[in-house]
Amino acid sequence: MAWELTEVPGNPTPSLRGSTVEVIAAKIEPKLANSLIRQLSQACPLENLRHVKRVRRCCEYGEKSELSIILCLATGPEHCSEMFPQDVKKIVGTYELNTFIAKVARFPATSKEEWEEQCKLWPTSYHPPHDLDGVSGFKECELPSIFNCMRTALRLSEVGNAAVVVDPSTMQIIAKATDQTLQHDSLKSNKCAELNSDSPFSSLEVTEKKGSRLFLSNSNVSKCNSLNMEASCLNPWGWMKPRPSEQKSLPCEGGFPWHPLRHAAIVAIENAAERDKVMFPSIISSTKPNSDGNMEYYSVNESAKRLKVDRNDDKKIAHEAICDDLSETRPYLCTGFDIYLVWEPCSMCAMALVHQRFKRIFYAFPNPITGALGSVYRLHGEKSLNHRYSVFRVKVPESYSNSSGDCSDKC
Amino acid sequence: MAAAAAEFMELALEQAKFALDNLEVPVGCVIVEDGKVISSGSNKTNATRNATRHAEMEAIDILLREWQGMGLDQPQVAEKFARCDLYVTCEPCIMCAMALSILGIREVYFGCANDKFGGCGSIMSLHQSSSAELSGEEIPGPKGYKCTGGIMAEEAVALFRNFYEQGNPNAPKPHRPVRIAPQ
Repeated sequence: MAWELTEVPGNPTPSLRGSTVEVIAAKIEPKLANSLIRQLSQACPLENLRHVKRVRRCCEYGEKSELSIILCLATGPEHCSEMFPQDVKKIVGTYELNTFIAKVARFPATSKEEWEEQCKLWPTSYHPPHDLDGVSGFKECELPSIFNCMRTALRLSEVGNAAVVVDPSTMQIIAKATDQTLQHDSLKSNKCAELNSDSPFSSLEVTEKKGSRLFLSNSNVSKCNSLNMEASCLNPWGWMKPRPSEQKSLPCEGGFPWHPLRHAAIVAIENAAERDKVMFPSIISSTKPNSDGNMEYYSVNESAKRLKVDRNDDKKIAHEAICDDLSETRPYLCTGFDIYLVWEPCSMCAMALVHQRFKRIFYAFPNPITGALGSVYRLHGEKSLNHRYSVFRVKVPESYSNSSGDCSDKC
Repeated sequence: MAAAAAEFMELALEQAKFALDNLEVPVGCVIVEDGKVISSGSNKTNATRNATRHAEMEAIDILLREWQGMGLDQPQVAEKFARCDLYVTCEPCIMCAMALSILGIREVYFGCANDKFGGCGSIMSLHQSSSAELSGEEIPGPKGYKCTGGIMAEEAVALFRNFYEQGNPNAPKPHRPVRIAPQ
């Protein structure tokens, strides 16, 4: 099995039942096709059925193919040729067409499977998401870098979830984060529980982790389809459980030794926001770097150089020029950015990603317990939201997860 | 009870006004334990450039800092949240509604409904989570909470109206202004 990318549609594949429209069609001589298409598209354009092809070709018996053409929508009861628009009636008369009722799909297909179903009724056209615009979908040439970003997230994921925010226009990593729901020392063991077992923790597999990061992501993908119950999105209520051998307060990022809501996606958003504040300080309000002085996630590149210039008082003119420049280029939240998550997010995290205006969400493993992007809910199909993103699942090959620690060098 | 609810909602509205004065989307909240306000918060999404910094999140973080400072461990903090009620001027969004379930808050009172992304009845009903899926004792299951809306909703809506009249200064410009060449 190779690395694979599939879109997680916002709506479950709708069944065709109830989503079809009746049309009046007629068999025609192939040589008439062109002329009839032209006349009918003027006399009776199918405005709301642009995805439906006007002509169907059936080659049922041997080589002789038969053509049928849609005349118009079937508006009334059968045998009501009076219901035809006048122009259509004229065409039917002129060419002595025998009409019949056919069913066509009411809406354009949103997936290849759905399209294949539709074509059994009457052919439709289908535009896969990545062919449409490349804005919210993906291009084939992006695949290697998409898989590479997911490898980065997988390597980052020690026990729980991990998140990597990427600007796809530059392939620059904007922020990274892991779950911070539990105290660090209680994270040292990797707990992997099978959902199918009678008692969730009876087959508990506790493994000491000793520097082998990859081993842990291996168990994420283990063949038995087991679930990593330490990933906060999979077990959001798990923080309440008493934890043995707890050491007192080791404040970490954000000033909390542990925090029930600091799931990887939430922390990544916070890190991206901090970076935004440092790199694009607003001219009016005085922005100071965050209290921890945590700069580890800021990538060293041209933007960081800008920051240096920014702080240099001698180059005031340059500073002003940059401020002007930044006010134009400063991103609004995470607009246009992608996020890579090891596990499908829960509804808290999925909604946080809507709020922060991400463009595309990639996750490796579905979350059957609280997953909000396909498994339990499909938040991204919710029409009332003020922002929409596309969701993709990256299927990680078993060979990647089963290979030894050297793999991380290879990637 | 209703009088007390109105009193706490007044305080939440004050927080929302504070947000408005700071050019933030005007939402505010207070958290109440044993009839006393123990935390409050107002929306800070513009100042932080972090669209997840809703009033609820701000108020929750204050409590977590305080309780961790007192040396409470996870089960003790969970016990505390189970005694707390939230009063918020607008229905919690899907993110906050799930967060409140994760914390195991006792009750939520809100002002106006949030018909774009409300998580307590409008778009999703995360306050009604059942613990059917994972009822094993070892794994704590979803926590539902009681939710009451419509408390002083007009006041909450009036603040939104004020805000949108003055405009969100942080929203992206829809288009670059068209440059007209000088004659």
